[in-house]
Amino acid sequence: MATYLLRRVLLGVLTLLVITCFVYGLARAMPGTPLTVQLGEDPSRKLNPEDQERLRRIYGLDKPWYMGYAQWLGNVVRGDLGRSITRKQPVTSLIAERIGPTFLVSGTALVLIWLLAIPLGLYASARSGHADERTASLLLYVLYSFPTFVAALFLQVIFSVWLRGTPWELPLFGMTDLPADAPWPARWADIARHMILPVTCQTYVALAYDSRFIKANMEEVLRQDYIRTARAKGVGPWRVLVRHAFRNTLIPLVTLLGLSLPALVGGSVIIEQIFTWPGMGRLFFESIRERDYPTIMGLTLMFSVLTLLGQLLADVLYCAVDPRVSVE
Amino acid sequence: MMAHVPHPRSRGFWAEAWGRYRRRPLAMAALSFVGFLVAIAILAPAIAGTKPVLCRYKGRLSMPCLGYFNRSWEPAVFARDRFRGTYPRNLAEKDPDSWAIWPLFFQDPYRAVRADEWPGMPANPAMDEGRPSGRNPFGTDQAGVDVLAKMVHGTTVALLVGFVSMGIAGTIGIVVGALGGYFGGWVDTLTSRVTEIVMCVPTLVLILAIIAILEKPTIWHTMAIIGATGWTGIARLTRGEFLRLKTSEFVMAARAAGAGPVRIMLRHILPNALAPVLVPITFGIAAAILVESSLSFLGFGPPPPTASWGSILNDARSNYRMWWLVVFPGTAIFLTVLAYNLVGEGLQEATDPRLREARK
Repeated sequence: MATYLLRRVLLGVLTLLVITCFVYGLARAMPGTPLTVQLGEDPSRKLNPEDQERLRRIYGLDKPWYMGYAQWLGNVVRGDLGRSITRKQPVTSLIAERIGPTFLVSGTALVLIWLLAIPLGLYASARSGHADERTASLLLYVLYSFPTFVAALFLQVIFSVWLRGTPWELPLFGMTDLPADAPWPARWADIARHMILPVTCQTYVALAYDSRFIKANMEEVLRQDYIRTARAKGVGPWRVLVRHAFRNTLIPLVTLLGLSLPALVGGSVIIEQIFTWPGMGRLFFESIRERDYPTIMGLTLMFSVLTLLGQLLADVLYCAVDPRVSVE
Repeated sequence: MMAHVPHPRSRGFWAEAWGRYRRRPLAMAALSFVGFLVAIAILAPAIAGTKPVLCRYKGRLSMPCLGYFNRSWEPAVFARDRFRGTYPRNLAEKDPDSWAIWPLFFQDPYRAVRADEWPGMPANPAMDEGRPSGRNPFGTDQAGVDVLAKMVHGTTVALLVGFVSMGIAGTIGIVVGALGGYFGGWVDTLTSRVTEIVMCVPTLVLILAIIAILEKPTIWHTMAIIGATGWTGIARLTRGEFLRLKTSEFVMAARAAGAGPVRIMLRHILPNALAPVLVPITFGIAAAILVESSLSFLGFGPPPPTASWGSILNDARSNYRMWWLVVFPGTAIFLTVLAYNLVGEGLQEATDPRLREARK
């Protein structure tokens, strides 16, 4: 196990090196620099050439990209992700600021997904073939094909235009309308109201996918001989389903859980963009637009580490829950 | 050589798979919907447009509507006679003997129709006045351009994105997966690593960065980028299939008969691995359409005047009271994605022997 982990980690580090080098090169190849993009075309805000040259030197933009990458890498090894050029604060504190709101939405969504998907999947496999199950499954499939950003726009139209002025009207943008010094119950209630639509958007697709996944796995298990044995000795239908069948479908579910790790803190770029939610996905999108290299790199590093970690976690958990599987 | 014994030909794998596919009403409905979209995409200029499908002008027959596909396919005589895109009046004024067959729906996907351009027809409403009406069934956008015409012409983009980008992704994925799976060893290590790296790079960064680097991104660039980033799943699956099949007897027989690796991979293993690989490709088409429309929605799509469903959604963001800019293109994207997913699902059920066993 230890050698396996060591090999995976070493390979992971190699992968990370290639990814970050590639993304850094790409980011630097985009036209414009943080200085030019930020100031825009406004001539009154144009820096004189000396100032611009000085800033370029301070941020290391005068060096070729591979030198810049080497410098960035050196700082990362020493635990320093650098400072954002456009936002004038350390990338780590920027991430710390944004990770909370993203986690709030995706964490709530994840809890909701599992709370709903497991009963739904069990219900679907218990009623498999009946009319109600077929309707429910078809509906879930349709939901699964419904693009998130289209759903987000539909919800915005419904709750901003069609339900305007009714008690059902929901806030569309941002995280809260209240000032930071508002009393906390009101503040949290307001944040909760703002969360409803983004959480809905992040929940429904995964819910549809996961409950279908659970049902597919259940169908496989329900054909096994030991299920027939359990039924033959008089175990009730629900007990067979939950105690005998579902427990044996937990293994693939664990893998799925591991793979959802990056999305948990990475957030969704498009959903956060639509609801102007101040989270990680939005930060990513903005940093690309602003050519804010340190932030782009910090986020890329984080996402890649989490993706690799999620894969590793899935594999290790797989071994942990299934004694038949060995990493070797 | 063995004596040839005549026997009734059994149905091939694909004929049987088609037989199974046809028995699934939802999958068939989805396939017909895709066919319907293909028909709309091909016939788009004849369905909605302001240029005649066929006309006789100064003694010559021509099809100016082809200009919607490619500017240069519009006969030069109309530019010379300064038609400036408005055909009905100019045709009658400049050649009284001319006649024309018009598209079913007189609206232009790129500009607002002006008052009296078609005799007696008022100008399109602009800004948030353009709610759906008899004249503009899906309404008009801020500039007064008809949404239905835009969507009809946007069908081409949606379909092309799906086919072209998945064609690219499928080719890369099959080649990478086949090489890794067949040769194993260091080739496999290399291809698996590359696949993993592409998987880990955030797709959006990759796409946005490449689009930013290109000076003038066109829809073809977008397709190429989606294809170049979307092949990892296909490569993994192909690799698995090749790993499984390369030890089978028919491959050994082919090798014994002296077939080279390329021949074995292409002629012997690939046809047997094609069905499971086609399934993720079909799902990939749905995903590619989704990626393109979300890129256009974020404002990173092909530049105007290319009509894309996603860019109509982008127009809607400035004013949600124009709900028709959300509902119609959004539904079109949803239905198309759903159709491709259902086709993929049907294909899977029709070709996967394991699922067939399960049905019994």
